[in-house]
Amino acid sequence: MKKLFTLLMIISVIVSCRKDDTSFDGNNIQEMYSDFMVLSTFKVDKDSLDFANGEKAVFSAQFNKPVSWKISIKGQTSKAEKIITGQTKFIDATNATWNGSTTVFPMFKAENCIAQLTIDGVADTFQVQTKVKSLKVNQGLVIADFENGFSPSWTKFVQTGANMDFNIKNDTLCPQGAKYLRMAGTVNWDYLIGLIDYPATAYGTTKTLNLSANPNDVYFNCLIYGESASNPSIVLFQFKEDENADGSINGNSDDQYDYQINVNWIGWKLVTIKYADLVTLVNGQPSTPKGNSQHNPDKIGKISMLHLADPSQGFAACKIDYIMFTSAPLEP
Amino acid sequence: MKKHLFKYMLMLLSLMSYHSMAQQKRTVDFIGGARSVLSNNNIVVSDSIPDTTTIKRNSGGYALIDLGVDIKPNKHTEILGMFRIRNAYGGFWGAGVTFDVRQLFLKGVISDKVRYQVGDLNLKQTPFTLFNHHADRLDSLPSVFKLQNDILNYEKFYRDNTWRQQGVNVDFGFEFAKGIKELNFTGYLTRLNATDFSSIPERLMGGTRIQLIQSKNLALSYNGFSVFDVKGTVLDSNTYTNNVNSIGLKYLYELNKNTIVFNGEAGRSNVQYAEDFDKSYLADYFINASATFNWLKKNLSFTAGYLNVGPDFRSIGAQSKEIDYSSLTGYYNRYTNDQIIRPISVMDLIVGDSLYATSVSTKLNIANPIYNNAMPYGLATFNRLGAYLKLDYHNEKGIQLNAQHFYLNEIRGQGTLKLKQFQVTKLTAQFEMDKLFHFQKRMNIQIGLMNEMTNRNSDVAVEKVDLKTMRYQLGAEYELFKKIDVLAGGMFLNCKGNEFIPQRNVYTTVSFFEEANYNMTQKIIAVGARCRFDEKIHLTALYQVSEYNDKLIASPKYSINQFALIYNMTF
Repeated sequence: MKKLFTLLMIISVIVSCRKDDTSFDGNNIQEMYSDFMVLSTFKVDKDSLDFANGEKAVFSAQFNKPVSWKISIKGQTSKAEKIITGQTKFIDATNATWNGSTTVFPMFKAENCIAQLTIDGVADTFQVQTKVKSLKVNQGLVIADFENGFSPSWTKFVQTGANMDFNIKNDTLCPQGAKYLRMAGTVNWDYLIGLIDYPATAYGTTKTLNLSANPNDVYFNCLIYGESASNPSIVLFQFKEDENADGSINGNSDDQYDYQINVNWIGWKLVTIKYADLVTLVNGQPSTPKGNSQHNPDKIGKISMLHLADPSQGFAACKIDYIMFTSAPLEP
Repeated sequence: MKKHLFKYMLMLLSLMSYHSMAQQKRTVDFIGGARSVLSNNNIVVSDSIPDTTTIKRNSGGYALIDLGVDIKPNKHTEILGMFRIRNAYGGFWGAGVTFDVRQLFLKGVISDKVRYQVGDLNLKQTPFTLFNHHADRLDSLPSVFKLQNDILNYEKFYRDNTWRQQGVNVDFGFEFAKGIKELNFTGYLTRLNATDFSSIPERLMGGTRIQLIQSKNLALSYNGFSVFDVKGTVLDSNTYTNNVNSIGLKYLYELNKNTIVFNGEAGRSNVQYAEDFDKSYLADYFINASATFNWLKKNLSFTAGYLNVGPDFRSIGAQSKEIDYSSLTGYYNRYTNDQIIRPISVMDLIVGDSLYATSVSTKLNIANPIYNNAMPYGLATFNRLGAYLKLDYHNEKGIQLNAQHFYLNEIRGQGTLKLKQFQVTKLTAQFEMDKLFHFQKRMNIQIGLMNEMTNRNSDVAVEKVDLKTMRYQLGAEYELFKKIDVLAGGMFLNCKGNEFIPQRNVYTTVSFFEEANYNMTQKIIAVGARCRFDEKIHLTALYQVSEYNDKLIASPKYSINQFALIYNMTF
C-alpha cells in the first residue's frame, strides 16, 4: 500500500506541472467578427510590368483583421485572368506577387490590366490598374504552338470521316500567340480521327530531342480546349525513343511512353506531366516497354499526337496549343 | 504482360505443390481469400430545383482472388507472397483485369535468438508513438454493417491498431536468473516515401522499444519513434524531422483475489523543418496514466485515467488519421445540378474505402466535428487535458458491456483565451440471446450509443461554441434456418450547433478559423440474409437505405438506396 501511495504521489506531481497557457492559436475570433477596416489601401508597386525581363508585380494592402481575400487581375484586351487568394490581415510580397502567369486562359498580351480585390463578407471592392509591357517568357522546348502553320517536317494524317477539321485557327479563342489547332470529326469505323507526327529532326537535331537525360527534370505540357463535358475526344501523345540513336524507331526494341488525356471538360486547361511518370499503354492499359524500360527524354526520336474517340460516340472535337517541354511544371 | 504473369504464377504454384508433395512434408501452404461484390445503387436528391444532371443509377461489381503462398523452407524461415487478381464485372480479358502483389514478406529467426521480418510489416507501438487509433470508426457495429466494414478493414490492412508499412523489423530478448526477468528489444525502419530525385525527399520512419520486465508485477519500457528525411536525396535541404520519446510503466498490484493495474506513459515530441526552424519547430509533452481495477470474480473491470497532451505535441505515427475528409467518395461523389461535392455520410464511413489511408502521413488530416470533435486523433489528440472512466463487463452467458466517459478541456485557446470543454460518453452492449436464454439458434443483439458535447463559454457572443452530436445504433441477427441468418440494423446520427474549424498550414499550426454551423440528421437502415457455408465462407444479400438531411441546407438532402450481393471466403 505504501508503494501505491508513492506512485500516486509521483503521478500527482507530474500532473500539476503544466503551466497555464497565456496565448492562443490562430487568429483572434473576436477580431474576426469585428467591423472591417482598411488600414492600408490596395496598391500595386509598378505601373508598367516588363515580365520578359523578370519583373514582378507586388500587391499590397492591410486590414484590421484576417480576411479571406481574392485578387483578380484581368487583361483588358485578351480577357486573360490571374487569380491570387489568401486568408491574412495583410497583402504583400509574401502572398501576392504576380510573375505574369495566367489562371484563366487565354494568356496575357501586352495590354492594360485591372486588378480587383474582393473580400469575403465585404461589399466594397478595390481596384488598381497596371500595364503589361512585355510578356512572361516560358523557357523550354516548344514542340508546336502553330504560330508558323504546319512545319513541313511534321507528318499529318486525317481520316476521311464526316465534318473533319484538322486545321490551324486564328480567332479570339486562341490561348497563346495568335493561332491554335482544332481537331474534330466523326469517324464511325475507327478510334483514330487524325494524327500529327513531330520528328526530332524538326527541332534542329539530327536524331533525338535536345532534352535533359534526367526524366525527373523534364515536364511535358500543353493547353487543351474541351468543347463539351460529354465530348468523347481522347488526345494520346506517344513519346517514341530511339535508344540506340540509329535514326529509326523500332517498335520491338525501343521504348515508347504514352500520355492519354480524356478531354471531358469545357474550356482551356493546362495539362502537365513529368516524363518520369509516363507509362507505356497498349489499348489504354499499362504495359511493359519494349526497350530498356528506362525513361530517356534525351532519346526521344519522335512524338505522335493522336486524336481518338470511341466510334460509337459520334462527333468529337478539341483544340490544342502550346505543346512544350520544360524543366519544371509550366506556369504559362 | 498480364497473360504472361498469370502463366508464370500458375507454373510457380504447380512447382511449389509438386515440391511440397515430393517431400511429404508441409512446407508450402496456400492462403488467401476470394470475394465477389455485385451492387446496384440509386441516389435520390431533394433539391429546390430537380437534379437532372446527376446519373441516378449506378451498378457494378467485381470478383477478386487473393492467392498467397506461405513457404517455410526450414523451421527458422517463412516467406509469404500474395497476388491479387481482380476483374471488374463488365470488363473483359485485358481490360478491367488487374494483377497486383498484395503482400510480400520474409521472416525468420537467427540462431534461435533474433527474430526478423523484411517486406510488409504491421507495426504499432504505443498510443502516442505509432498507433492507428481508428478514432472516427464506429464501435460495436451491428453485424449487417460490420460485414461491409470488415471488407474495408481487409483491404486497408487494418488489424488491431497497426499501420501497414514496408521495411525491416528486428526483435530479440534476454532472460535473467534474478533481479530482472526479461529485457526485450524491438527496432524497425520503414520507408514512408521514395525520393523522386527532384522535389520529394526520401522519408524514413524508425522506432525502438526496450522493455524491462522486472517481474509479473512490474514492467518498464522506453519507446523511441522518429520520422526523418534523408539529406542529399533532393537538392532542397529543408528536411523534415519528427521525434517522440516516451517511457512507460505497468504495475500490477494484487488485492485479495483481484488486481489493480497501473498503466502510465509520459513523453515528449519535437517536429521541425531544418531550413524553416523558427516557423516549424514545435515541442511538447504528454502524460497518460490510468488505474484499472479488475474484479475477477465478477468479470468486471473499472478504469480511471488522466490525460494531458500538450497543444504542440506532434507525433505523426499516432496522429495520422486513417480518414481523409477532403477525399472524394467512391461513387456519387458529386450531386445536384451544380455538381457540388456530396458530403460524407455515416454510410461512407462504413464502406467508403476511397476515404481511408493505408499509411502514416506527415500531413495532419483535418477533423470532422460531426463525427469526432473531442478526440479526432484518439488518445494522442493534442491540446487536451482531463480524465476518463471506463467500465467493461462480460460473462459466459454472452453479455458484453462497455462504457466510457471522457471529460476533457483544451490547454491552449483556439482563437481566444477561453477554453473549450469536451464530454464524450460511449456505451456499447452485445447480448448473445441464444446463450442467455438457451435458444437452439444463433441470435445476437447489438446496441451502441455515443454522445459528444463541445462547449466554449464566453462573454463575447461570437466566441461561444456549443456543439452536440448523438449517434445511436441497434442491430440484430437471427439464425432463421440452419446456417441461414437474417440481419437487420440501423444507425442514427443527430448533430446540432456550431464550431470553428481550424485551417492549418504546412507546419500544422493554425492559420485561420472558419465557423461551421450544423443542424442535421443522418440514418442508415439495412436488412439482409446471410448464408454461412462455414465460418470462413458466406454469401450475403443486403438492402440498405441511407439518408443525409442537412436542415440548414448547406448541402441538399439526399438518400442512397443500395442492394448488394456479397460472396466472401478466406482460406
